[in-house]
Amino acid sequence: MLFFDLLVQGLLQGGIYALIAIGLTLVYGLLRILHVAHAGLYTLGGYIAILITNATGSFTLGITVSMVSVGFMGMVIYRLIYQPILEKPPFVALIASIGLFIAMEEIYRIVFGAYGITFADAPLQGTLNIAGIYLRHCEIGALLLAALLITSLSLFTRYSRIGIAWRATVTDPGMSQSFGVDVIKVRYLNFFIGSAMAAGAGSMVAVMNNLVEPTMGSVPSYKALAIIVLGGLGNVRGTVIAALIIGVAEAFGTIYLGNILDRDSIAFALLILVLMVKPTGLFSKG
Amino acid sequence: MNLKSMSKGLLFLALTSTFAVTATAAETIKIGINVPLTGFAASDGTSALNGAKLATEQVNSAGGINGKQLELVVYDDQASPKQSVPIATKLIEKDKVTVGISCSYSGATRAAAGIYQSAEVPYISAYAIHPDITRAGNYTFRTSFVGEVQGRAGAKLAGKILKKKRAVLITLNNDFGKSLVTGFREKAESYDVTIVNEYPYSIKDRQFGPIVAKVKADNPDVIYATGYFFTAGPLVSQLRAAGVKATIIGQEGFDTQTFIKIAGSASEGVIITTSLDRDSNSQESQEFIAQYEKMFNHKTDMVAASGHTAVKVAADAIKRAGSTDRSAVRDAIAKTDLTASTGTISFNSLGEVIKNVQVQIVKDGQFRHYAVISDPELLAPPVD
Repeated sequence: MLFFDLLVQGLLQGGIYALIAIGLTLVYGLLRILHVAHAGLYTLGGYIAILITNATGSFTLGITVSMVSVGFMGMVIYRLIYQPILEKPPFVALIASIGLFIAMEEIYRIVFGAYGITFADAPLQGTLNIAGIYLRHCEIGALLLAALLITSLSLFTRYSRIGIAWRATVTDPGMSQSFGVDVIKVRYLNFFIGSAMAAGAGSMVAVMNNLVEPTMGSVPSYKALAIIVLGGLGNVRGTVIAALIIGVAEAFGTIYLGNILDRDSIAFALLILVLMVKPTGLFSKG
Repeated sequence: MNLKSMSKGLLFLALTSTFAVTATAAETIKIGINVPLTGFAASDGTSALNGAKLATEQVNSAGGINGKQLELVVYDDQASPKQSVPIATKLIEKDKVTVGISCSYSGATRAAAGIYQSAEVPYISAYAIHPDITRAGNYTFRTSFVGEVQGRAGAKLAGKILKKKRAVLITLNNDFGKSLVTGFREKAESYDVTIVNEYPYSIKDRQFGPIVAKVKADNPDVIYATGYFFTAGPLVSQLRAAGVKATIIGQEGFDTQTFIKIAGSASEGVIITTSLDRDSNSQESQEFIAQYEKMFNHKTDMVAASGHTAVKVAADAIKRAGSTDRSAVRDAIAKTDLTASTGTISFNSLGEVIKNVQVQIVKDGQFRHYAVISDPELLAPPVD
């Protein structure tokens, strides 16, 4: 029983990681930028979900507004921060991104307060007993949302015209441009989808913790980096699998290795192990 | 305006402002504060500083100290030793404060304590709990419990007062959590409490699913959970959602209204050891609670009361010393016997506070009085 409890908790955590890491790996695949500030958007997603839910009483509206507006915010960040420095060496964008992330955390603190914010009446807190495993409605919601978003993304990139153009651009930007793909449009789409998914994750975590703090993104900011490296940079399927592996490894590690290894170091221990055997990550194409 | 007259103007401005600064400096008594106002500890820092501000306001509106007004000189240390060390030097050398107060965490406070000690300036730790802080020397004091003392009180609460037998420890993996648990383990056996298991977690954790699942399997009758409100809130609500019914014992890290807001109805019945009694009869505590809420429009908490207490202790000592001579003030602090918002304060030879542990319970969304632990032997702070 404990085994299944831990497995479900691990998959849940992995699903959240996957939603965050996908945006990161998409940006890396397309622009070769490590978009650290992505975790700041995840936090923003949590804030907006709580604020809208508290104002209207509807969490569905809260998470929808959160995903759409944070999606646009991602596009704005691309336009204002990354686009002007695309021609510069990659570390310039990395520094800009880290700077932006720190600034975002402090802006949240100034605007929303250092104590963090909570739901006036936290939604989805009821529990469901599935064969002895207690799950809160919000946890089931998070699992479903992760599955839904990841499946839709995969269908979208496989079957829709713009999705195919997107994949083509990731594979070879120059070639796809000469075939008439609007690279700029693909980039905006990329930031919109990646950021919206992070906001979805942020909204669900906000409900699960009933708390959004300025520093909510600090752990995901670096753990997502480990995940996308593990998954083979730029590889969405690899990222999802790596996220689930790390989620499950953490769940069991917390209980059975907790006295030796900090939960947050498990992802990195795994990363080091994999890189020693396969330096390009688990699922790289090369 | 040409360049010459402009530079003249600037010079004039610079001169007058220097005079202005020296003029105020002569009239006020300065207390230096290092406090995290940005970064991960900003919420505790804000509370502690608010408490300190309220204390200053109270002292000044009652006529100040020996005719002079109290002034706080505040720097943000981000709870980092890298910041607190230069801040300590700045407060001592440049601002020439009479007393330094740490409204920060242990790491930052420990590093700064050595600087204050070697400069022979009194330094009071408001709520940082690492035992080494007061070991820096005879100029360092602490107005809050060391972790071990509060942990021992927790063991008595679990075994003697609540009559529980099987405990699981969920331990915050930093000096705060570890020192609390050290105290709990030390006394658990003598109060007939068996420790079934211990699960450490990191300060960044908010998702406790795996731990909760394992605790459920352990089936304890009491959980000694160390942490701060931002970890304790999610932890308590996840434990209750999973159907864990064991009594939960927390500590002063839980002691803020935000904890109750996060955990919601799951927080009902959680019992904590702390130093602020919401139902205290003491006028000092009642005034503190009422005025804090009025001044900051926010419910008060243990950290705020600790910042408040530290400033009151400093002000009281300066008054009794009758001067701002740092060594006279040190001697006066050592002889403190003061009723503060966190109880009656006196110090042992190491500069550790001697006071009762308050036990509060969450009832109808508020912290209420549950018990007091006043066992001088159990609560004796370390002396070396």
